Amino acid sequence: MSTTTVPLARIKGVRDMPVEEYFTSGHRTCQGCESALVLKLMIKAAGPRTIVLGSTGCMYVANTTYYTTPWVVPWMHTQLGSSGSAALGTAAGLKALMRKGKIKEEPLNVIAFCGDGGGADMGLSAISGALTHKHYNFLVLLYDNESYANTDIQVSGLSPWGVNTTFSPPGKAKRILHDRWKKNVAGMMAAGHPDCRYVATGCASFAVDMMNKIRKGLTIEGPAFIHTLDPCPKGWDYDPILSHELGKLAIETGVWPQYEIEDGKLRLNGITKMIAEGKRKRKPVREYLLKQGRFAHFTDDDIDFFQSKVDEMWERWLIPGVIPFAKELEEA
Amino acid sequence: MAETVVPRAETLGREEQEALLSGCEAIAQACRLADVDVITAYPIRPYDTVMQAVSKLIANGELDAEYIVAESEHSQFEIVKHASAVGARVFVGSSGVGWFYAFEAITVTAGLRLPVVAMVGNRALDDPGAFGVGHSDALAVRDLGWMLVWVDTAQEAMDTALIAWRVSEDPRVLLPCALGADGAFLTHSQHLVKVPTEEQVKQFLPPYNRGDKTLHPDNPITIAPQVNEDWLMEIRKHNDEAMKRAKGVIKEVYKEFKEIFGRGDPESPFFEEYMTEDAEIVLVGMGTLAMPVKVAIRKLREQGKKVGFVRLRWFRPFPTEELQACLSRFKAVGVIDRDYSFGSPSWGGVVFNELRAALYPLQQRPHVIGFICGLGGREVTIENVIEMAGITQKAAETGRVEQDNYWIGLRG
Amino acid sequence: MSTVSVELVYRGIFQRTLARNICRGIVFAARKENKVGIAFGRYGDSPERNGIPAKQFAIVADTDEELQASMALYEPTEVDVTIALDDSLCKGVESWAWYGLQPINKLTKKDGTLLITSLLSPEELLKHIHRKEVPYNIALVKGAASFSGLWVFKDDHTDVRVLGALVKVCPQLVSLEAMEKMIREQWKDELKVTSARTSYERVQIRRVEPGEGNPEEPYRFELPKWQEMEEGIIVRGIPQGGGFHGGEGGYQPGRNPYFKKFTTRTMRPVIDFEKCTKCTLCWLQCPDTCFDVTPDGFYDANMEACCGCGVCEAVCPVPDCIVMVNEAAFDSNESQYEMWQRDKEGYRTWVAEKISLAKSERRSHGFQYRGQYEEELAAMRKEA
Repeated sequence: MSTTTVPLARIKGVRDMPVEEYFTSGHRTCQGCESALVLKLMIKAAGPRTIVLGSTGCMYVANTTYYTTPWVVPWMHTQLGSSGSAALGTAAGLKALMRKGKIKEEPLNVIAFCGDGGGADMGLSAISGALTHKHYNFLVLLYDNESYANTDIQVSGLSPWGVNTTFSPPGKAKRILHDRWKKNVAGMMAAGHPDCRYVATGCASFAVDMMNKIRKGLTIEGPAFIHTLDPCPKGWDYDPILSHELGKLAIETGVWPQYEIEDGKLRLNGITKMIAEGKRKRKPVREYLLKQGRFAHFTDDDIDFFQSKVDEMWERWLIPGVIPFAKELEEA
Repeated sequence: MAETVVPRAETLGREEQEALLSGCEAIAQACRLADVDVITAYPIRPYDTVMQAVSKLIANGELDAEYIVAESEHSQFEIVKHASAVGARVFVGSSGVGWFYAFEAITVTAGLRLPVVAMVGNRALDDPGAFGVGHSDALAVRDLGWMLVWVDTAQEAMDTALIAWRVSEDPRVLLPCALGADGAFLTHSQHLVKVPTEEQVKQFLPPYNRGDKTLHPDNPITIAPQVNEDWLMEIRKHNDEAMKRAKGVIKEVYKEFKEIFGRGDPESPFFEEYMTEDAEIVLVGMGTLAMPVKVAIRKLREQGKKVGFVRLRWFRPFPTEELQACLSRFKAVGVIDRDYSFGSPSWGGVVFNELRAALYPLQQRPHVIGFICGLGGREVTIENVIEMAGITQKAAETGRVEQDNYWIGLRG
Repeated sequence: MSTVSVELVYRGIFQRTLARNICRGIVFAARKENKVGIAFGRYGDSPERNGIPAKQFAIVADTDEELQASMALYEPTEVDVTIALDDSLCKGVESWAWYGLQPINKLTKKDGTLLITSLLSPEELLKHIHRKEVPYNIALVKGAASFSGLWVFKDDHTDVRVLGALVKVCPQLVSLEAMEKMIREQWKDELKVTSARTSYERVQIRRVEPGEGNPEEPYRFELPKWQEMEEGIIVRGIPQGGGFHGGEGGYQPGRNPYFKKFTTRTMRPVIDFEKCTKCTLCWLQCPDTCFDVTPDGFYDANMEACCGCGVCEAVCPVPDCIVMVNEAAFDSNESQYEMWQRDKEGYRTWVAEKISLAKSERRSHGFQYRGQYEEELAAMRKEA
């Protein structure tokens, strides 16, 4: 008998938003930190009957800086690579205790968050393992600021190609030190775990869409995985006032596709959908890249290469941004 | 259609019964008796037969627990850590480098004061890979706030597992506890074991209750916020005090265990003394090497040699005062380490150096000699014990330690 | 035989490279007069966060033993010169929780100097700078705070202008010649040498007597003993929110009692409630949950929580309904909604005045597009 999940209705629009805050001031994040916004909106969507597990990263250190907390709901730290296990262990503990009558039987939300380093690098195997356990309810949320930001910005598996970080500085001999393309984590999770009923990508610049995805991930029974792209003023090196705009630009340029996969059905969302349907043209990636100091060292060739890879994602992938291979394998 | 259902384990539990169980199977029975809530498994020899036994209990409905096969030891230990934080009683285990792979989780569990009970099927560390027993895996956690106890029979393994939950979950303690169980000699060999009833265990083991430390929406707390230099010493001091309190709790618990189950030695819970009353010299060691040591001692006694043996159970909290009281009267003590500590003082093993340090403040203290023996599953033979006793005896007679440390049973 | 210690208090990340250039410059300049020195950041500040105050130190001594006496301390207990690279830091420094509000001149020695880059006058700054029991000096390097980011540095010569002024206010540190020699070697740029010398000549020094300055008693916290701390590394969560300002209607989130953001911001939102269409976006998109919801549905930025990122201005669909204004232009953290309710006419003029100030002195907060710094530097050179 699987514990049913907390009932969370769809948020119709910004005016239909719950007013309560469960992640409030008292955190020491950078001015304009979109990851902090993701957490604030995440827990606002989830509500008070929620336990949050946070793996090491900015959203751990910057939030609970020096023996304090911004959390109204119960929150517990977990290790850098342990968000999958933290979610699974918490959900399993609650389930056993409720079934045996040791604690009150009620649906509770369990959310474990991790950064791009914690989720897509070190914690990938734990998340993958957790997503196969379909009789536990939890959500793993990967907030992606595209670097190990808490340790002063180093390259992660989700850092964009060519980016300037303290592990990939542009030098005289080598301008591009980080020449790996960003992992396609949400696509990987969806393709790799047939029993995982909900996988989605999101961005805090589209708050209602992201919050509804979080609610769907929590209400659907079984494990769910959401990957958000979070502009990071420190690591991306931009004036914090641009945080919101850069989230939008990432989607308008097609660099970051927004979609959700529910019980095997894929739906593209918002601007991504319009681009796919030809209703809207993708903005050139130059508009997005050159607003960020982390790409200031790019030559025109670098920008063209970046553009070509994004074009490939839209013109040759079976499903833009999701399935990175074409149908006609011979043609490749 | 062929019978594919796993054969039911001997139906146990109504009244105290005797069963033929390996150390692992005995500990699996302890999980059933303790109504454990979450168990995580991952394969590595020699501990994992406990999980094979657990899975049978789960499949046959004898144990109602969330039984999760993790995808790594790191996840195994993280999952039970978080289950414990919401108030679930947990059990987990590993061996050798598997135990090491979980070390990040093991380290933080103590600081978080989560009473995780873990079995370590003691196994040599790689490389090279070696299945046989070695104590270096469990010993590696000795400074981190885990309680550490070694057992030498399946009976003691079962009893000590129940004791471990009771001590770990005591609000004055709230520390994790690792059970050292020698690979093969204990984990796999089957002993006659008295299995208590669930009612007896219910009387002995109260439900696990974290009170206002429980992670639950009705108790909104933040656990383990990041700290800087202003906070860590104060937080670690909590662990220091908890470990001190654990000694007293262990004594209480052994007393109660004796009253309920009629087993265990409340007078000397931390170590077993064998023929030490009139001994001149004493050997000290942990785990299943006790068997050949005792047999050798009986042989030596026949030759009129007064040799005794102290089998240390609780390595953490280390019973300093009790060992001082017990060992001060002997002229020489030989410590058998089934581990190594390269570059350590006098190149000795871990138990040797800790025991020698513990005896140092005594006005009158025995000579202490260290023996590295039985690594990688090598048998500690009766001849080895006789050799070790001889060296220790010589030190007692001459009043001089020729060599602090010997590798016994080494070819060449 | 003397040791000179200098602390640099700056806006994390925005001014990290600037502070580093100055600290290293001090040590290299001292080297020219074969003194010894060390430059280090305060480890507790790391990892630095945009806008959160941080410190770096430079200590120079004649001999190694002397230097070691300073190196033996985690942080100097007093300094000859405190350099504040952003004048809004004069309101005090709260680097993290439990730290309380530390006056900007807390470590400044008797007769030492507080060197500030600012466009304001000493009198205006002394409204914020906390009172001190001993006399000291304020020295001003004319100019807005120099901000850029982690990767692209805006070399507006603030580093060498501060170094030039430093030599004037602290002659025992190093001579002007040695400083110029160092600048020439380090940057190989004659213009930067000139900037340093001009700053040396123009720096404005003003004596401050005990009792001058902000009389406010800065808030501080007693760190609990280990016996007073909960076991299991547990702190209680923040309480649930309630009505606006403790009343019935509206909503105000519970807030952290030990970490206030009064000094984290370089600018704050000024809200024109009469233009507000209650679209919710400022409240919704604020990463720091700083907006309280008033009973009649407006959104009032609570200065205890705002860190001045400007996202509310960016997302507000109504022109000039929310405008970010330099933090140094405010003397109180009072609720703007209550100011408006109390005196709508007065508030209207207050808003207009703040908006015009913001429009006249547009401060850059880092990288917005490639080429931006070059344009800003060209404009500055034309002015100078």
